[in-house]
Amino acid sequence: MVYARSMNILLVEDDKATASFIQKGLTESGYIVDHAADGEDGLHLALTGQYDALIVDRMLPGRDGLSIIQALRAQDRDTPVLILSALGAVDNRVEGLRAGGDDYLVKPYAFSELLARLQALMRRAQPAQEQTLLRLRDLEMDLMKRQVRRADTNINLQPREFTLLEYLLRHTGQVVTRTMLLEKVWDYHFDPQTNVIDVHISRLRSKIDRDFDVPLLHTIRGAGYILHDPEAA
Amino acid sequence: MILRLLNTTVFRLSLVYALLFSGVVAVAMGSIYWSAAAQIVQQADTRLRLETKSLEDLLRTGSFSSLRETIKLRNEDAQRAGRRFYVYALSNSPKQAFDEYIHPQRPLANGRQAFATVSFANLLRAIDQADYGNQQSEHDMARVLVTTLPDGWQLLAAADMSEQQALLDKLYRHILLAILLIFALATFGGVLMGYGVLRRIDSVRQTADTIMDGDLSQRMTVTNRNDEFDRLSVVLNRMLQRIEQLMQAMHEVTDNLAHDLRHPLNRLRNRLEASQFEPFDSDNFQQLQQDALQDVDDLIKTFNALLSIAQAESGMQRNEWSTVALDTLVADLGELYEVVAEEAGIHFNYTAQPGLTVYGNRQLLAQALTNLLDNAMKYTPSGGEIQLQAQQQAQHIALSVSDSGPGIPAEARQRVFERFVRLDNARSTPGNGLGLSLVKAVADLHAAPVRLADNQPGLRVVLVFNAAI
Repeated sequence: MVYARSMNILLVEDDKATASFIQKGLTESGYIVDHAADGEDGLHLALTGQYDALIVDRMLPGRDGLSIIQALRAQDRDTPVLILSALGAVDNRVEGLRAGGDDYLVKPYAFSELLARLQALMRRAQPAQEQTLLRLRDLEMDLMKRQVRRADTNINLQPREFTLLEYLLRHTGQVVTRTMLLEKVWDYHFDPQTNVIDVHISRLRSKIDRDFDVPLLHTIRGAGYILHDPEAA
Repeated sequence: MILRLLNTTVFRLSLVYALLFSGVVAVAMGSIYWSAAAQIVQQADTRLRLETKSLEDLLRTGSFSSLRETIKLRNEDAQRAGRRFYVYALSNSPKQAFDEYIHPQRPLANGRQAFATVSFANLLRAIDQADYGNQQSEHDMARVLVTTLPDGWQLLAAADMSEQQALLDKLYRHILLAILLIFALATFGGVLMGYGVLRRIDSVRQTADTIMDGDLSQRMTVTNRNDEFDRLSVVLNRMLQRIEQLMQAMHEVTDNLAHDLRHPLNRLRNRLEASQFEPFDSDNFQQLQQDALQDVDDLIKTFNALLSIAQAESGMQRNEWSTVALDTLVADLGELYEVVAEEAGIHFNYTAQPGLTVYGNRQLLAQALTNLLDNAMKYTPSGGEIQLQAQQQAQHIALSVSDSGPGIPAEARQRVFERFVRLDNARSTPGNGLGLSLVKAVADLHAAPVRLADNQPGLRVVLVFNAAI
């Protein structure tokens, strides 16, 4: 994925160690990161600066994370927001999303999870034209006919496999984690205790990759999966 | 004690009641008193009228002097009898003495009569006989009838009312005494009742104090009277029971947490220490780092599982409750696990009677079922069978996961719901011993008992929901 400019991220987080860890990680992944250590600063920066996404801790000195998001949404700013929180009950998540957050990540989390979700958010924020055809190299998904073809061969997918592949295609080139897949494809908000997602992915992989020379669905160790064309420039 | 007694609601209520009751009694007895008094006056008036009539008749037939003579005789008779019943007198118009003492405001017209109640002293002054009877006291009253005769004379007839007055006074005193007695008794009763209530409340208060001091095992005393205090105590005891259970569960979680997290934390610490002696770019260092991350992830998983259990047990998250369609839930999970079973060479089928619903938290129910399915997949050997079912049985909806694995021996079935309990044959497989605890907590939250049964061979776990919702 080539961007015309680097993506700007605003991080609102009061814990210094966490903030510098996230800042470092994101900078190394090619983002430009501004940091605010309390709620008032955070809201001020969010309203005056140009950001592609916000990462907001829920508990902040001065003004809490949810109220920043509410104030932002009240001004018609639709910058995608990822909420970080130590409050992980289902109710807390719903509160966060109702306040205007786009995704909710519970501490403790793996950095790869944070990065994957952030990328997914910014992808969503791109002008979304209604696509009926998703394509990667010679893999084609027709959303109208609900058909999948690779190199002119029809591929038969179960309904859930279809949804899974659609999600991966919509996030081509991005790492998606197991938790994200369980949330977005199956709508379950808890840790997968066993390898169910892996099994579904390997099942899908056997259908779209096994009989073809160039594999498209790859496993990223310790992080998740990525659908991309390894030979594309 | 006295002050506190006076401050009880029961005492105040009985005081009000005593006042009210005494008031009613006073009105009732008062009316008896007044009608008795009126009756007495009426009797006297009748006698006075008859006497006056006979004297008038005498005047009409005889002379004025014979009337005067008769009056004198009658007065002497009355005095001799020691009775002060009747006093008669005549007065002529220029003096108007009767009027002055008996009807000061209203001089009588010709041929008219008037009754009055006057003191004996005034009466004697009116008839100008201060020496008439010294035995009369100032307070004695008399009933008087004054009649105007022709030629300006007036005839006075009077009846001594002192005995009747004494009777009425006695009645009055008795009534007053009765009212005071009733009031005192009612108040005393109130004090007694207040004291009883205060004693019951004190017992509750003392127990509550002991409990607040930390002895959660204390309970309110319940007598066999089955009165409102007993019923209140029973409710309080149930509440205390629940609080104690929650406290105990909390204790258990903390204890277990400390115990179970100590091992992995120790392992993690060891690994990090070991990594200090390895060069940064060595394979060993990389491996240690990977392992340490894995340790942390496992810790987080255990931690999250414990939190989920605690949340389910505390009964929070009611906001996210809705009607959950079981056929959809079963189909979703069945489809999620179908491929896992296929990979493992296990026959897996899932069925749900269409249209079954329970009221609950979809996420928690799904989490509980995935725990059961995870277990089933883990312990069922290749070639075995697993079933996920939802079906209605009379008043109940049974949501069950059955497998053909080794099962759980009957004597261990209660124990497996406790946190961190892992049976011997499970120690070699991965897991934290929290799966079934969560299932139990979620089931309890939905008021659905969990039954573990022998699937011959294998284990059958059934969540029994009430279908009446």
